[in-house]
Amino acid sequence: MVQKLSVLIIEDEKSICDFMAKTLVSSDCKVMSAGSGKEGLTILTSSLPDLVLLDLGLPDMDGIDIIKQTREWSSLPIIVISARAQEKEKVAALDAGADDYITKPFGTDELMARIRTAMRHSNKIMGDHINSNRPYSAKGLTIDFDKRLVMVDGKEIHLTRVEYKIVSMLAQNSGKVITYSSLIEQVWGPYADDNNRILRVNMANIRRKLEKSPGEPEYIFTELGVGYRMIEDENIE
Amino acid sequence: MKTNIKNANMPDSYSEKDNSARTLQRDALTFLFAITGITALAFMFNGILANPDVNITMFYIVGIIVVARYTNGYVWGFLFSLLSVMCVNYFFTYPYFTLNLSLEGYPITFAAMFVIYIITSAMTSSMKEQSRILAKQEKELMEIQKEKMRANLLRAISHDLRTPLTGIIGNSSSYLKMEKELSDADKHDIVENINEDAEWLLSMVENLLSVTRINGDTAKVNKSMESVDEVVASAVTRFKKQYPQAQIKIRLPDDVVMAMMDPLLIDQVITNILQNAQVHASSTKPLELTVTDEPSSVSFCVRDYGVGISQEKIETIFDGVGYRRDRDTSADGYKGMGIGLSICKTIINAHGGKINARNHGDGSEFYFSLPKETEE
Repeated sequence: MVQKLSVLIIEDEKSICDFMAKTLVSSDCKVMSAGSGKEGLTILTSSLPDLVLLDLGLPDMDGIDIIKQTREWSSLPIIVISARAQEKEKVAALDAGADDYITKPFGTDELMARIRTAMRHSNKIMGDHINSNRPYSAKGLTIDFDKRLVMVDGKEIHLTRVEYKIVSMLAQNSGKVITYSSLIEQVWGPYADDNNRILRVNMANIRRKLEKSPGEPEYIFTELGVGYRMIEDENIE
Repeated sequence: MKTNIKNANMPDSYSEKDNSARTLQRDALTFLFAITGITALAFMFNGILANPDVNITMFYIVGIIVVARYTNGYVWGFLFSLLSVMCVNYFFTYPYFTLNLSLEGYPITFAAMFVIYIITSAMTSSMKEQSRILAKQEKELMEIQKEKMRANLLRAISHDLRTPLTGIIGNSSSYLKMEKELSDADKHDIVENINEDAEWLLSMVENLLSVTRINGDTAKVNKSMESVDEVVASAVTRFKKQYPQAQIKIRLPDDVVMAMMDPLLIDQVITNILQNAQVHASSTKPLELTVTDEPSSVSFCVRDYGVGISQEKIETIFDGVGYRRDRDTSADGYKGMGIGLSICKTIINAHGGKINARNHGDGSEFYFSLPKETEE
C-alpha cells in the first residue's frame, strides 16, 4: 500500500488509546485519536479516515449512535471495541452497521488482524467483483463457489443446500463475525422465524462434516451470543 | 378473656393495619363475605333442617374459623363472634327479627357460642402469628448466612486480586527504577511476569463479572437453547489461548445436543475447571473433557491424571474460602482457584444443575450436569 492507512481511534481511556496508537504507528498507519464521541464525529467528517476503531463505552454519547450517524453517509469500516460480557451491545453495534468487533483486552496481533480483515472486505466492496467469486481456501479447506464444491484435504464434502449456503456466506465474509440474525436472514429469508435452534443444529452438522474435532474447531469459530466467524481466507492479496 | 385478648393484641393488629391499607381492605372484604355468605347459607338451610338453631350455630362456627384464618389480628374474629351471636338471635330464634337475649335457655347457648368463637378465633390467630414469626426467623437466618457468604467471598477476592497486583506493581516499578542496569533477558523476564499476572487478574475479573449475569434476587439466569458443541469449543479455544502448550482430548456425543443455558456462564464454568486442572493437577497425560448426553440431563466431565485432591479439601472445594490446593508443592501456589470453583458452583446452581469433584485413583475428576428443559 503506497498511501498510508489512516485510522481514527475513538476511545476515552488514554492508556488503551496510546497502546493502540503505538501499535498502529509501528505498522505504518496514520493515527488520529478522539477522547469523546463528539470530537470523534468531528474528526470523522473533517478528515475522512480509512477505518474507525470505536469504543462502545464513551462518556458523552452512545457508540451505537456514532455508528448510525456515520452509516448515513459512509460505508467506511468501523471496528467496535467492547468487553466480553456485553454480547447484546455487540449485536446491536453490528446490526447498526459496524463491520466487526474486538473484545477487551486484546493483543496487538488480534488488533492488526481485525483491521486487515475489515480493510480487505471494504476494498472488495469498492471494486473488484471479478475476484469476489474466486475460491476460498484455508488450512486445507477449499470452497469453489462456481462449482459449489467444498473440499477438506482434497476430499469432497457433501453438504445439504442449507449447509452450503451457511458455509459459503461465512467463507465470503471470512475473518469477519456474522451475527445469528443476519445468517438466518440470508439463508432462510427475511420472514424466517428468529429461532436460533435450526441454525445451531445445521452448524453442528456442518462442524461434524468439516472439522476433525468439533470441540476444537479449525475453520468455523463460535462467538457466543453473537454469531460465527470463519477462519480468514489464505490466498488474499 | 375478651378484654385480655383485646388489650394484649390490639396494638399489634392495629400497627399491622396501619402498615397497609390494602390489607385492611382485604380483611374487611373477607369479613363481609363471610358474614353475609354464612347468613345467606343459614337462611337457605333454615327451612330444611330439623333442628335449625343448633345447626345454624355450626355454620357460624365454620365462619369464625374462616375469618380467623384469613384476616390479620384478632379484631375481625372478635367482631364476627359478636355479630354472629346477634345474627342468630335476630334472624333465627323466636321472636324473629328482634333482639331478645332474655329468652329461656337461650342466654346460655349464646354465652357458650360466644366462648367457642373467642377461643377458636384466638387459637387460629395465634397459630397464624406463630407461623409468621417462624417464617420471619427463617428469613433472618438466611439473611445472616448470605451476609456471611458475601463477607467470605469479599475476603477471598481481595486476597486473590492483591497477589497478582503485587506482582505487577513490583515488577513494573523495578523495571522503571533500574531500566539502565537490567540486561535484556531480565527485562524480558520482568515483562513476561507482568503479562502472566495480568492474564491471571483478567480471568479473575471475568469470573467476578460473570456473577453479575445472575439475577441477584431470584438467583436465576437468562437461559436460551444452546448447542453444547459450541459452548465447549468456545471454552476450549479460550483456554488454549491462555495455555497454548496445554494438551486436551475432547469427546462430544455423536448427535447434536442442545440444552437451556446462559452460554457465556457455562463457557466460564468449563474454562475455570480446565484452568484449575492445568494449574494445579500437574497431569501426566492430556486432560480429558467428555460430554455425555443423558435422558434428562447433559453432563460434562473434566478428568486429569495428576496429584488428586485430599479428602478434606474435596468437601470444601466449591466453597471458595481458604482453599489452596497443593500450596506447598506448587511454586505459584497463590493461584488458588477458590473463587473460580465457587463461582462454578454458583453458576451451576443457578442453572438447576449439579457440580461435584472426586478422585478416580489416577488423578481427579470434576463433573457437572445441566438439566435438559424444553424451550420456554
